[in-house]
Amino acid sequence: MEYTYFTFPTTYYALKAEKVVLEQKGEGHAKMVPVPRKISSSCGTALRCCSNEKDIIEELLNTHQVSIEGIYRLEEEKINLKNLLRIRKG
Amino acid sequence: MPPDKNYNLYFDNAATSWPKPEPVYTAAEKYLRSTGGSPGRSSHSRALRADRLVYEARERVSSFLGAENPGQIVFTLNATDALNMAIKGLLQQGDHVILTTMEHNSVLRPLGSLKRKGIINTTVVPASTDGYPDLDYLQNSLTSTTRLVICSHASNVLGTIMPVKSMAEIAHRHNCLLLVDAAQSAGCLHFNVKELGVDLLAFTGHKGLLGPPGSGGLYVREGIKVDPWREGGTGSQSEKDEHPSEMPERLEAGTMNVPGIAGLNEGIKFLQSEGMEQIRAHELSLATRLLDGLNKIPGITIYGPSRPEDRLANVSFNLKNFDAGELAFALEENFGIQSRTGLHCAPLAHKSAGTFPHGTIRLSPGYFHREEEVDYVLECLEQTARHLVN
Repeated sequence: MEYTYFTFPTTYYALKAEKVVLEQKGEGHAKMVPVPRKISSSCGTALRCCSNEKDIIEELLNTHQVSIEGIYRLEEEKINLKNLLRIRKG
Repeated sequence: MPPDKNYNLYFDNAATSWPKPEPVYTAAEKYLRSTGGSPGRSSHSRALRADRLVYEARERVSSFLGAENPGQIVFTLNATDALNMAIKGLLQQGDHVILTTMEHNSVLRPLGSLKRKGIINTTVVPASTDGYPDLDYLQNSLTSTTRLVICSHASNVLGTIMPVKSMAEIAHRHNCLLLVDAAQSAGCLHFNVKELGVDLLAFTGHKGLLGPPGSGGLYVREGIKVDPWREGGTGSQSEKDEHPSEMPERLEAGTMNVPGIAGLNEGIKFLQSEGMEQIRAHELSLATRLLDGLNKIPGITIYGPSRPEDRLANVSFNLKNFDAGELAFALEENFGIQSRTGLHCAPLAHKSAGTFPHGTIRLSPGYFHREEEVDYVLECLEQTARHLVN
């Protein structure tokens, strides 16, 4: 499983992101998780989704005016953060 | 004694509403007993549950007030806290501020302190004995340095509903911001910040919104930058010694009153399910009954607008030749009725009404009162007036 992490400038936007995905996509598409420590983020909570849904979720968040700080892809196992790759700067 | 021991004789709802809808109690208790967790501080499940609770409350307040975006709602301790935040976060050296005599000490004192420090200067717009500010005086007081006009939405002393929309138009014609103190009106009147044209609006949770004391907030129109007067932990951007600039965190520091916010959320949910038209109609019928009854008691002078529709349900009056405090004491000692006397933290409003420095006695029914409870208070007052005058 490959994951994508969305980070946010404030907790308010992290919560808004969770709600938008839940309302538009239903349960099971994204999860609120602590920001992996290799990522620098303003808000300590990130939204994690499967990388194959990254584009659709990013579009959803943009449509609903959720301010995204950064988007990161975790290429290996969840535990191993070595290959964390920043793919967008907010 | 009242015909029924379950009569609610608490008539001080303009200070703090009581009782609250049942879910207000249970939501505050549920957070304390089961949820726990600091919103914004961690990503574990309890913190996230607290986060979601605050988020839901923010969205609810935003839609209730008609704000453009929930991020423009900041949670505060009460209206006083929100007014201090707006006043001290907006005003700068040399700014001129216009207020009215109907303002509460929560406006008069922060402005007084900035004035004594030589930071601002102020003009106080006089009001009629019924509490209406002189709009021509307001118009003529605006100068090139006027930054802010402050007015209450409704008077806590006289109940007068203020011409906020007209004041907003006057302020905006001169590129000034309008800060409205909605401490008394929120939850009693149906309104929308966009329709009223306000730039900032302070409200409290513990009055008409039926929430717990210690909850409240400030609406800041998008694009207005209020500097934080309280800075500290937000759970975000923690590596910096600079407070985050994004709303709402910009103005929120320190762990929030989550049980208070949970209760406030339920208070507003109750108002939404009853409908604000229904809330206003019932409170107006109680006020009408109270005004009609008081008018029939010899020796009583009522203050504020005579038409019930021009006011909220709080009614201030005096009994000829008697101290308001003495009357209030007699009402509680003999009949168990709780009222509020004195200056109600609004000394200039009493000057406008002609009741300074002695003040008035104020009865403020709430949504949960029934007509027979108002009738009982009127009977007791009639009896007391007869006894005291003879």
